[in-house]
Amino acid sequence: MKVMIVPPNSLILFDLVERYGHEPLSLMGAIGDRVTNPEIESPPLNVTPEDVKAGLKYAGIEVPSGIRGRLAIWGPLVDKAEAAIIMEEAPFEFGCVGCHRTDEMVRYYIRKRKIPFIVVRYPTTEDEAKVMVAKIKEFLEGLK
Amino acid sequence: MIVIAPTSQVTPDQITRLIHGLGLEITVKETCYGAMVEGSHEIVLKAVEEARKLDPDRIFTKVRGFPMGDARRCRAHHGSRPGFTQLEKEWECLSLVEKGVAAARRGEELRELPPKPMLSVKELKKVVEESK
Repeated sequence: MKVMIVPPNSLILFDLVERYGHEPLSLMGAIGDRVTNPEIESPPLNVTPEDVKAGLKYAGIEVPSGIRGRLAIWGPLVDKAEAAIIMEEAPFEFGCVGCHRTDEMVRYYIRKRKIPFIVVRYPTTEDEAKVMVAKIKEFLEGLK
Repeated sequence: MIVIAPTSQVTPDQITRLIHGLGLEITVKETCYGAMVEGSHEIVLKAVEEARKLDPDRIFTKVRGFPMGDARRCRAHHGSRPGFTQLEKEWECLSLVEKGVAAARRGEELRELPPKPMLSVKELKKVVEESK
């Protein structure tokens, strides 16, 4: 099954989804399709007018362009997803590599789609990591 | 992208040599965190599967958006790596995650941990007082 991961560029979630036999839907895959397309100029000019239109499907015109731009890439992944894993309190949700508002919108769309999903906490101790992996494994095995 | 957990005894060199030794039609690049493999999807999966056998609980993988050596991202061409800070943060966390992977493989019974307590008003007041 196609499993969406949030944060969509997480190494930990990508690996666990693949390890337990599913196809992770990640940001890297979507970006890979774009940056290897010869019609698109080099980043940061990697958003096309088509992307901007696609973003409008997920966020209104009054929403900041950064969020709309991100949703143009993340939104289609949510549409394709058959299940989702959301990791909360990940420290990299904030700052230059993340956008918390986009994260919130993505979580909203996942809930709205009514696909099976699981929410786990970013581990800070060994026990938390064990619980997180066990929960993800149980969830992914249950999808088969 | 193959990333080795910080607790692993496997080196990037070992992984690169192993993949080279498989004789598959792929490109392999040794990096500070592990290795990068590029080629057709099926062959890459095969190479990753073999590399994982070196230390199954401590070798992690993910897809990379930009191709190997891409001038827009490669350090050798002074490219920027905006995702590197996240990779570094997650790499630190792999030493915890590998314990979870091993526990899940052994089928350990685990109890749900209680949620972290919220910041109390008393603590908050203390933080405010300290920042004055």
